[in-house]
Amino acid sequence: MRLLASLLTFTAFLSAASDLPKAEAILDKYVEVTGGKEAYDKIHSSISNGTMEIPAQNIKGTVTVYNAEPAMEYTVIEIGGLGKMEEGTDGNVAWALSAMQGARIKEGDERAAALKSANFKNRAHWQDFYKGAETVGTESVDGKSCYKIVLTPKEGKPETEYYDKSSGLLVKQTATLKTPMGEIPVETSVAGYRKESGLLVPHKMQQNAMGQQFEISIDSIKMNADIPKDRFDLPAEIKALQAKSK
Amino acid sequence: MRGLRLICYVLIFFTMAAAATLTPTRRKLDIESFEFVWKRIQDRFWDPEQLGGKGGKLDWQAVHDELLPKMQQAATEGEAIGVLDEMIGRLRLTHFAILSSDVYSDLDGPSGGEGTTGLDVRFIEGKPLVTSVRAGVDARLGWEIVRIDQQALAPVLERVARTYANTTIREMMLVRAVTARLSGPVGAPVQIEFLDGQNRSVKRRIPRNSPRGEVTHFGLMPPTSVWYDSRKLSGDVGYFTFNLFLDPGRLMPAFEDAVRNCASCAGMIVDLRGNPGGLGVMSMGMAGFFIEDTGRELGTMYMRNLPIKFVINPRQPLYKGPLAILVDGLSASTSEIFAGGLKDLGRARIFGSRTAGAALPSVIEKLPNGDAFQYAQANYVSEGGKALEGLGLQPDVAVENRRDDLLAGRDRVLQAAVDWVHTQRKAN
Repeated sequence: MRLLASLLTFTAFLSAASDLPKAEAILDKYVEVTGGKEAYDKIHSSISNGTMEIPAQNIKGTVTVYNAEPAMEYTVIEIGGLGKMEEGTDGNVAWALSAMQGARIKEGDERAAALKSANFKNRAHWQDFYKGAETVGTESVDGKSCYKIVLTPKEGKPETEYYDKSSGLLVKQTATLKTPMGEIPVETSVAGYRKESGLLVPHKMQQNAMGQQFEISIDSIKMNADIPKDRFDLPAEIKALQAKSK
Repeated sequence: MRGLRLICYVLIFFTMAAAATLTPTRRKLDIESFEFVWKRIQDRFWDPEQLGGKGGKLDWQAVHDELLPKMQQAATEGEAIGVLDEMIGRLRLTHFAILSSDVYSDLDGPSGGEGTTGLDVRFIEGKPLVTSVRAGVDARLGWEIVRIDQQALAPVLERVARTYANTTIREMMLVRAVTARLSGPVGAPVQIEFLDGQNRSVKRRIPRNSPRGEVTHFGLMPPTSVWYDSRKLSGDVGYFTFNLFLDPGRLMPAFEDAVRNCASCAGMIVDLRGNPGGLGVMSMGMAGFFIEDTGRELGTMYMRNLPIKFVINPRQPLYKGPLAILVDGLSASTSEIFAGGLKDLGRARIFGSRTAGAALPSVIEKLPNGDAFQYAQANYVSEGGKALEGLGLQPDVAVENRRDDLLAGRDRVLQAAVDWVHTQRKAN
């Protein structure tokens, strides 16, 4: 009797696993439903403006992100009572700067994650950034039945993503953020997809990390925006750190 | 008349007895409070393994099962509080407390309001003494405060002292009970009775003014005034003090300037006496001005299953000279993290008295029965491997001001630090 039950369970498991689409198909479908590879390849720069909030603590601020290909990014967050916090990469050096902490150059997995995040091709050409991807099951996220896939980056720890079975859109991501303070698990819910220059882009993100909930809301995205050439130059404080380490 | 007095005694006795005996409603609320406290610790204690009962460790479920019948059978309010005290006592940690509703109101005071008298207070030789006086305020250093707006302080302070008798936050809570009564609406004066240097009663009507510093707004915190004082002491010693680790946009550049202006100083003194902390991340940023090597840490905060390292980020200008940090029983949280970490790294010498042992903000939640439960949600271990929570940081040089010092206008703690700086200069 017990053997029969085990066999039935094993058969059911095999059946469920074989029903799952391959991760590659799920990731390709995401690119397709959000505009297609061609639409992604037409975007060379962007400027996003929005707000950032920690509702439980009534902390609010503004966030502006400048991006340009191949992998340049500059983010500035301004929060009342905390001042300005900047992060960026010129495609090679990834850094952070704030009045509270001073200047810092990111190294190792943290640098790799920053460069991957800044890269314009990280969605349409995901294979360039990940060693592999595997569909590991299905799970309900906010009432939506989702495929759960695990992506293994070329550098850093595996990331888990949840794609809505019916729309094909990414709805949640969990990852481990490597920082000098330690490895911090981060869960990000993604919503508010809207078209921007032919691409369907999420405008709402809710992050849970270290027991805090952060909400990011993007008000405007300007694709192929003119960005001053020096926008991604390393700040003087970062250059000073580079000079000191030589 | 005698018969009437007898009836009064009987009535008083009866009402006392009625108050002491638990009603079914009160018993229900006490049991709910018991479950609330037990579950908070079960769900939020930073190290669940310590509560699992394995390897001789505390079995938190067994504590529940053992003490719940006691709570159900508690006949008086005192017995009910005793059961709650016994439960949290099993943790053998000092930073957990049940605050009876009267003590809770003692700590908050009756007035409310942002106005301050410009007097700073510490418990010295067991008395609330004035330790600093804002210019223009008619009071003197070393005077003892005995009565505020007709209320004698002694009974209030006795209750608070009893509640926090075995904790490191005793002095902090005693001072809080006094300062809560000194503060009130801006413009509304407060009547204070002091004992002067000869222990003669002196009464003063002192106006309440806006607090010192600039108001900063951060999250749910009420508007908070942040001030700093940066100067050079005689003998080429830099001195920086500030009341809170907040408003980094203003405070960090001021601290940076102080370090820059002290590049060739004989030494630098950071005075954290009375500083209750604030943004933890600022401790790492400030420490960066004194540490040259990357990868050094002030310590580690242990949240539930998540260690967070307080990594120092070296920054310019770097100060390599002697560094003294002053602390007292009101130095808490980020102040302890900063001072404790730099002490453990051998970078600073600490002067003063044991800190508050409140490295992490403890939470106070109201219980169903009207009392309150104070508890810490995490632990913090300084770089040297010692926990700060509930233990405090022991200074390298234990030195405290006495009443005589205050009356004579001396600051024995600051002087000890200055003297040490000069011995360092001679040694080098």
